[in-house]
Amino acid sequence: MNRPTLTPFISAVALALAACATTDPPEREMGAARAMVSQARPVADRDAPQELAQAQQKLARAEAAMQRGHYEHARILAEQAEADAKLAWTVAENVRVQRSAAQVQDETRALREEMERKGR
Amino acid sequence: MRFNPKLTVLASLVASCLVTSGCAFSPHASQQLDDARAAYRSAAADPAVQASAPAELKSAQDALQEAERMAEKGGPSELVEHNAYLAEQRSRIALRTAEIRRSEASIAAAGEERRRVQLEAREREAAAAREQAEQAQMQVRQAEMARKEAESRAAMLEHERLEKERLGTAQAELGAEVKRLESELADMRAKQTDRGWILTLKNELLFDAGGASLKPGAQRALDNLAQFLTKYPDRDIAIEGFTDSTGSKDLNQQLSEKRAWSVKAALVARGIQSTRIDARGYGPSFPVASNETPTGRQLNRRVEIVIDPS
Repeated sequence: MNRPTLTPFISAVALALAACATTDPPEREMGAARAMVSQARPVADRDAPQELAQAQQKLARAEAAMQRGHYEHARILAEQAEADAKLAWTVAENVRVQRSAAQVQDETRALREEMERKGR
Repeated sequence: MRFNPKLTVLASLVASCLVTSGCAFSPHASQQLDDARAAYRSAAADPAVQASAPAELKSAQDALQEAERMAEKGGPSELVEHNAYLAEQRSRIALRTAEIRRSEASIAAAGEERRRVQLEAREREAAAAREQAEQAQMQVRQAEMARKEAESRAAMLEHERLEKERLGTAQAELGAEVKRLESELADMRAKQTDRGWILTLKNELLFDAGGASLKPGAQRALDNLAQFLTKYPDRDIAIEGFTDSTGSKDLNQQLSEKRAWSVKAALVARGIQSTRIDARGYGPSFPVASNETPTGRQLNRRVEIVIDPS
C-alpha cells in the first residue's frame, strides 16, 4: 500500500469537513436569539408557554454548545431559538389581540342591546 | 475495471465522515423539508399573509429555497433540516401575523361600531331631551295661555259686573233725574219704555193752538230739559211732534214737524249740541188715545222727548 498517495485525499476530506463548520463563535445569532427570547417571555409566558419553552430550551442548548466551542451547532440552535421565540411572541400576541377583539365586540354588543332596550 | 483499494479506503473514509458529521440527507431532514414546503405553501396561498406579513413570508421563502438548494446538491443534512425548520417556523409566524392583523382590523371595526352606537345613543338622548324640553315648553305655554285666558275672562266678568253696576247706577240715576223732571212739571209725564225714557209734554203747555212758537210758559220745561241734557252729555234725544186727527193731515204733519224743530232750536239755544237732537214730526200718527173724545185728542196732541237708553 502506498501510504503517501492517500494523504492528499485525507487532507481534502478534512478541509471539506472544516468547510461544513463555522469556525467563528456565532455572537450575532446568539445575541438575536437572546433578545427575541427576552422579548417573547413576558407575553408568551401566559399565552404561548409551549412555544416559549421550546425557544428557551434551544437557547440553553445553544449556550451550552458555545461553551463547548461547538460554534456551528450553536449557530443552528441560536437561529432556531430565535425563530421559535418569534413564533412564541406572535402566537401570544395573536391570543392577546383576539381576546381584546372579543372584548370590544362584547362591549359593543352589550351597548347596542342596552340602547335597544332604552330605545323601545 | 479493477477494484482500487485506495479508492475503497477513500470511499469508506468519506462515508464514515459524512455519517459522523451528519452531512448525509437523512429521512429526518426529508420529513422536515416536506413539512416546511407544506407550511410555506399554506402561508403563501393566503392573500392576507402576502398583504400583512410580506417580510416574514419572504424570509420563509429564502430559508426554504436554501434548504431545497442544499438538498438538491447533497449538502449537509443538518443544514437542510435546519433551513427547512426555519422556513416552517417563519411560515407559521407569517400566518399568525396575518391573523393578528385580521383581529386588529376587527377590533377597529368593533370600535367603529361602538362609536357609531354611542353616537346614535347620544343623538337619541339628545332628541329625547329636545322633545321633553319642547313638551315642557309647550306645557308652560299652554299653562300661560290658560292663565291669561282665565285672567282675561275674570277681567271681562269684572268689567261686565262693573259695567252692569255702572249702568244700573246710571240707569237708576237717570230714572231719578227723569222722575225729578216729571215732578217739577205738572204737565210732563215720564215713562220707561224699550226705546228708553220718554217724556211726554202736552202741546198746550208749549204752544198756542195752531202755532209752532213756544209759549213763555214753556221756558221752565225747556230749561229743565236743557239742564238734564247738560248733565248727561252722552245721551242723545229724539224730539217727536204729534197732533190729533182733527183737520188736514198734511197741515198736521207740517205743524208737528215745526213744533219739534222749535223745541230743538230752543234746546240748541240753551247750549245743547244740535247733533245730539233728532227732531221730527209724525202728525196724527201713533195716537196714544182715542181721537173721538176731547180728552183723547188732548192726549194725542203732544211732544215726546225720547232719551237714548244707551
